Amino acid sequence: MKTTRRMFLAGATALGAGSLIIGPTGKLGSAFAQDGKTLSFAAAGTVTSSWDPSSHTVAPQITAEGFLFGHLTKCPMTAENPGEILPDLAVEWKVIDPFTLEYKLRQGVTFHDGKEFKAEDVKATYEYASQPSRPASAWYPGQVEVEIVDDYTVRLKTEKFGYPALNFWYVSAFLPILSAKDVANPDVLKQRPNGTGAFRYEATKGDQIIFKAFDKFHEGKPQIETVLWNYVPDANTRVLGLLNGQYHLTERLEPEQYASLSKEANITTQRGLSSENKYLHFRCNKPPFDDVRVRLAAVHAIDREQVLAVVGDAGQASNCHISPVKFGYTDVASYPKFDPELSQKLLAEAGFPKGQGLPEIEYITSVGFYPKTREYGELITAMLQEQGFPVKLTTLEPAAWEEQLYRRADGQGPGHIVDVGWITGSPEPDLVLRPNYLSKFALINGVSDPEIDASLDKERNAASTDERLKILQTETLPLIAAKVPSVSLFSSVFLRAMSKNLQGVYFYPNGPIDLSKATLA
Amino acid sequence: MAFAIEFFLRRIGQGLVIVLLVAFVIFTLLRIVPGDPIRIILGPMTPASVLEETARNLGLRDPILVQFGRFVTQVASGDLGRSFIRGVQGGSTGGSQDSAGFDPESRASVAELIGTALPYSLQLAALGIVFTLLVSVPLGLAAGLRSGRWPDRLGLYVSSFLVSLPNIWVGVVLIFLLSAKTGLLPAIGYKGFAYTIIPAMVLAIELSPVLIRAISVSVAANLGETYFDVGLVRGLSRRAMIARHVLRNAAVPLFNLFGAQMIGMLLGGLFVVEYIFSYPGLGMLTINAVFQRDFPIIQAVAILASGVLVAINMLVDFASTTIDRRLKF
Repeated sequence: MKTTRRMFLAGATALGAGSLIIGPTGKLGSAFAQDGKTLSFAAAGTVTSSWDPSSHTVAPQITAEGFLFGHLTKCPMTAENPGEILPDLAVEWKVIDPFTLEYKLRQGVTFHDGKEFKAEDVKATYEYASQPSRPASAWYPGQVEVEIVDDYTVRLKTEKFGYPALNFWYVSAFLPILSAKDVANPDVLKQRPNGTGAFRYEATKGDQIIFKAFDKFHEGKPQIETVLWNYVPDANTRVLGLLNGQYHLTERLEPEQYASLSKEANITTQRGLSSENKYLHFRCNKPPFDDVRVRLAAVHAIDREQVLAVVGDAGQASNCHISPVKFGYTDVASYPKFDPELSQKLLAEAGFPKGQGLPEIEYITSVGFYPKTREYGELITAMLQEQGFPVKLTTLEPAAWEEQLYRRADGQGPGHIVDVGWITGSPEPDLVLRPNYLSKFALINGVSDPEIDASLDKERNAASTDERLKILQTETLPLIAAKVPSVSLFSSVFLRAMSKNLQGVYFYPNGPIDLSKATLA
Repeated sequence: MAFAIEFFLRRIGQGLVIVLLVAFVIFTLLRIVPGDPIRIILGPMTPASVLEETARNLGLRDPILVQFGRFVTQVASGDLGRSFIRGVQGGSTGGSQDSAGFDPESRASVAELIGTALPYSLQLAALGIVFTLLVSVPLGLAAGLRSGRWPDRLGLYVSSFLVSLPNIWVGVVLIFLLSAKTGLLPAIGYKGFAYTIIPAMVLAIELSPVLIRAISVSVAANLGETYFDVGLVRGLSRRAMIARHVLRNAAVPLFNLFGAQMIGMLLGGLFVVEYIFSYPGLGMLTINAVFQRDFPIIQAVAILASGVLVAINMLVDFASTTIDRRLKF
C-alpha cells in the first residue's frame, strides 16, 4: 500500500486525538473544591509505605497521624507553659512510685473500626512500640510493662528495665494509641491506620490521601467532613494553589512567601514557634573538632544574630540546646556568644594560631528542606574563614544530605560540620538530648564525654519533675553549652498560611494540626 | 515492503543497543552519585548494621556490573521491579521498615506506577503539541512565504521572545495570572481535562520558537529552489506549487527536527512542567523518584524515554523516506 502525505497527516492527527482520548477522562471546570465541607491541605511531605506508627520517624507521617490517632494525654507545648499536660484518652494520671505511673482512661471511646477503647489497647501499644526492635523505639525512654488494673485503669511500670517511669510523663502525649487487635496482627497495622482520632482513613489515590470525619469521635464529630492531604513538594506550587483557591491550608513556607501572603486579603498567615532547633553538629570523634577548644573557637566565630537576620521570620533567637516549647528550656547564661578575640585565643591554645595548621573543614548542609540553609551556610562559612578556619561549604539536596548526616557503621561521619534540625512531638527534652549527646548514641556528632553522660543520666533518674527541671537547667544544659558537641543556632518557626474562611485550627509545634473544632465557612 | 522490513529490523536492532547503553549509563550514574537509598528506605535512625544487611539483601552492595546484569535479565522478562519508596497504598516517603526488615512486596510495582502516570503525560504532551502547532504553523508558514517582509520579522521576534522565557518562570506566571488572579482555569494537580490547559500552554511556549524558525527557514529555502521557478514557468499556480511541492519538501527536515529535537525537548519540558503544576504524570513521578533515590523508577523511566525517542526517530525516518524516496536511512 502506498502511503500518501495526506494519509500520513490524517494518521498523525488521529494519533494526536487518540492520545487525548486515551488520557485520563475528565471534564472542564469543577476546579475548585469550595463546598465548605472539604478541606484541601497542601502538604510538604507525605507518609511512608507503612501506617504502623512504630515503624518510622518521619515528620509528615506524624502530622498525618495527628488526624487519625489519640494519645493518653495532649501537650500543647506553648513557650509560656511548656510542661502543660491536658487529658486526651486518659482523664487522670499520677505518680504511684518512682517506677510506676497510673492512668485513668476515658470511657465511651471507640476506634474507627468500632472496637471499644480499653486498658488492653494501652498495654498492647506501649509494650509493642517500646520494644528496641521497633524502628521508632529511639523516641521512647526504654521498654515498659503495662499492668491492667481494670478496663479503664493502667499502670506503666519501668522498674524491670532500670529507669524511672517519669520518663513517660510527657512521652504519653506522643505515642499514638493503637487497637490491641491490630497490634496482634502487624500486617493489618501496616496496611491501614485505625485510631480514635477526629478523622478516619478513607483511601489513598496517588499522592493524595483522603480522611473522613469520624462520626463517633469522643469530642464530637468534626464539622469538616473530608480532609484531602495533597503531597505538593514544590513550595511555590503550594502557595499558588492557596492563592487560586485549590488549597485551603499549606505549610513550610519560605520567609518571603510568608511576607507576601501576609498582604493577601483572603489569606491568613500563621507563625508558630516549633519544637525544632537548628544545629551545627561538629564531628567530635575526629580532628580538629575532637578538641573542645577548637569547637568553642568555631562557635565564638559565629555571629548568630546575623544568621537569624538571614533566616528572618522562620527563626527565633534561643540560647539553649532545646526549643523553648520543651520541658527544661532555659536561656543558658553561659551559652557561647560571638567573640572573635576569644575565638583566636582558643585557636592559639589548641595549637592552631589564626587557624594555621587546621585541616580543610567540610561544612555539609542541605538545600530545599529547611529555609535559608544555603544562605546562612555561606554566611557562617565566611565568618569561620575570617577567623582562619579553612572551611569548604558542601550544599546537597535532601536525599544526598540525609545520606551524609548520620555516623556510619565505623562510627565516623562524612565532613566536619553538619547542619540539621531536630524536631520531636513531645515536651520531653530527652528526645533531643539522648540521641544527640549521650555517647551511646550521639547519632551525628559522635561525642563521647563521660561528664555529659553522667549529667544526662542524672536528670533522667530524678525523682520528681521539679528536681529534674533544676538539674536540666542548672547542670545538663549549661554543660552541653560548655562542651558544644553542637551549637544550636536558633529555634525554628513554622510558617503556614490558610484561607481566611478556615477558622478554629490548632497547630502543634511539631507539625500536627488539630482540625477537630475547625470550620470552613 | 522488503525495504520496510529491512528498515525496521535494522533500526530496531540499533535502537536496542542505544536503549541498553542509556540504561547502563543511568544505572551506573545512580550508583556513584552521593545518596544511598537504603537510608531513605529504612529511615534515618535505623542502626547501621540493619542498613548494611538490608542493602546486601537488596543487592545494592554487589558490583555494578552484577547489579546491571540482574536488572537487564529482570527487565527482559517483563518485570520492571518494585519501587524502593512508594508503598502499595501510594505513600511516597521512605523511612519505614517492619520488624523483619524491608519487604519489597509492600512497595508499589514500577510498571503499575508508570501505567497510572503515563496517560496523564500523554494527554499533556498531546495538548502541548496541538497548541504548538496552532501557534507555529501559521506563524512559520507566513514567515517562510514572505521572507524578508513583516511576517518574517514577526516570526523572528515572536520566536526570539518565546525562546528567552524560562519554562519554570512562565509556569508560575501563568498560574498566577490565569488561575490565582482571574480564576479562569484550574492549575495545580489534576481533577479534569481543564487542569491540562495551562501546563500545555507552557509546553507550547517552550516548543514553538524552534518550530516557527524551522518552518520559516525550510519553506523559504524551498521557495528559493530552481524547481519552484520552473513550476511557475510551466504554468502551475504559486498556490499549487506551495501546496503540492513546497510544503511536501519542507516537511522532511521538519520531521527530522521533530524526531531529533522536539520530542527530547518535550520530554524534558514535561518533567519540569509537571513538577511546577503538581501534575500527576510521568515527569512528577520521576522528579520525586530522583529526590528520593528511588532507583527502580528512575531506571524504568529512562528506559521508557530512550525507547520512545528511538521509536519516534525510527518512525520519522521511515516517514521521511516515504515522502522523499531518494532518502535512505
